Amino acid sequence: MDKDFAARRRRDLIIAAALATIAALTPLFVKDVVVQNILILTLMYAGLSQSWNILSGYCGQISLGHALYFGLGAYTTELLFTKFGVLPWFGMLAGGVVSALIAMGLGYPFFRLRGHYFVIATIVIAEIGLLLFHNWEWAGAAMGITIPIRGDSWLKFQFLRTKLPYFYFALALCCLAWFVTWWLENSKWGFWWRAVKDNPEAAESLGVDVFNSKMGAAAVSAFLVAVGGSFYAQFVSYIDPESVMGFQFSLLMALPAVLGGIGTLWGPVLGAAILIPLTELTRFKFGGSGRGVDLIVYGTLIVLISLALPRGLLSLFSRPKKTGAAR
Amino acid sequence: MSALLETRGVWQRFGGLVANSDVSISVGRGEIVGLIGPNGAGKSTLFNLIAGVLPPTQGSIWFDGEDVTRMPAAMRCRRGIGRTFQVVKSFETMTVIDNVIVGALVRTTVMREARRKAHEVLEFTGLAARADVLASDLVPAEKRRLEVARALATEPKLLLLDEVLTGLTPTEAQTGVALVRKVRDAGITVLMVEHVMEIVMPLVDRAIVLDLGKVLVEGKPADVVRDPKVIKAYLGDRHAVGA
Repeated sequence: MDKDFAARRRRDLIIAAALATIAALTPLFVKDVVVQNILILTLMYAGLSQSWNILSGYCGQISLGHALYFGLGAYTTELLFTKFGVLPWFGMLAGGVVSALIAMGLGYPFFRLRGHYFVIATIVIAEIGLLLFHNWEWAGAAMGITIPIRGDSWLKFQFLRTKLPYFYFALALCCLAWFVTWWLENSKWGFWWRAVKDNPEAAESLGVDVFNSKMGAAAVSAFLVAVGGSFYAQFVSYIDPESVMGFQFSLLMALPAVLGGIGTLWGPVLGAAILIPLTELTRFKFGGSGRGVDLIVYGTLIVLISLALPRGLLSLFSRPKKTGAAR
Repeated sequence: MSALLETRGVWQRFGGLVANSDVSISVGRGEIVGLIGPNGAGKSTLFNLIAGVLPPTQGSIWFDGEDVTRMPAAMRCRRGIGRTFQVVKSFETMTVIDNVIVGALVRTTVMREARRKAHEVLEFTGLAARADVLASDLVPAEKRRLEVARALATEPKLLLLDEVLTGLTPTEAQTGVALVRKVRDAGITVLMVEHVMEIVMPLVDRAIVLDLGKVLVEGKPADVVRDPKVIKAYLGDRHAVGA
């Protein structure tokens, strides 16, 4: 049985390496910039959703306010870059740390809330963050920040002629989030998180530090999402509150995981691979007049998934477990 | 040697309701003690106070020479108090082995070690064949055993069992009884809440009868069942006559 388990973990790692290699080679064949763009976004959202999944899937604390951490990552990086000339790489780290700290600060009061109340709190907090940035003059308020061109290099993390470096960074981010999840899945934290999700009272009786488990999950999750936000800011080179902290980002982090299989290792990647291209294509197809069509797509998918496959698409592939009485 | 567990003048009030009044009990090392009494006697309340679900209104609880009255449940588990739940609380989306690993992680953070310990406990509790099944797929009797297994994985000195034998078929109950004996033989003290007298009485070394929140009688099971006060508490006045 132990061997089965070790073999399964090794198999996951090998599949991930194979997929990452294939993904890394796609730009050799895909030269179309529009398609490359879609690939970059797909990888980014896969990574973001994977990070969201740590707090909301594994630890069961459903957040619909992760746009806050995404925006904080973007703003921290760009404020440091435009106001103090700090390289985006350091800004990225700083954004991660700021987000992790804020996630824990918010967790302190809000992890006492359960179920729907917690979800509502996350939505409200993200909206407050959005409003604050709307009115913060120094941070550009509603006008946002245009990121000045300082060069075409990895050092400045700006690329003008090609999108490929962004593609590879998004791939790396996705791999990082996946690997962190893979690693944590078989650790004390991973087990504690799942126990907290399934039954906090029982977890407590088994010596699990429920509160700090949630705090840890929130910190890791927020850190990775902020790195994604910081990447996105460099990628689009212009940010304003709506474009990095809007509610749609919270949705786009949650949906792939829910679609693919919440609280699973592969769910977010699978979900993102289906959902993001679909969203981008509908948006591309319907253009300006189609604003909201992507929302119809999300809505339909949520309804279908919750009716037909509440455990996500991944449950189609899982081997049916032996059930019934023993011996 | 001092008692492993002691409650000293414990009171618990819920608004106007007095669930426990001035309860002082002690459990010695290596004993199996039964906590019995009719419905509403305050057994579950006392159980929860010992497990650390809530602090008592008054009085103190001592475990292994330490005052644990205000200690949270998770910390008590680390000190060596394991418990099961009357209404089973399995981690439903996790497999049986993973459920038990959660318990084992209190004593080690090395996954390989926790997994080994969990397998050992599953072997001990007779659940080894079900290791890779989801907890939600277990039958009720197995879920009860999983509760015990999970608690045992935390390597408790004292195991609190909340009605683990209630609602089982006679065969299942006998398996349960055998498991409790085995646990005690492994050197773990057991305090069990139960209201099915005929199953508990042959099993326990000592019985404590609660009624209306107070300790009514305490002693050897054979004496306790003959005590007129106990018969009265369970069956009412008429039956106590002539006892």
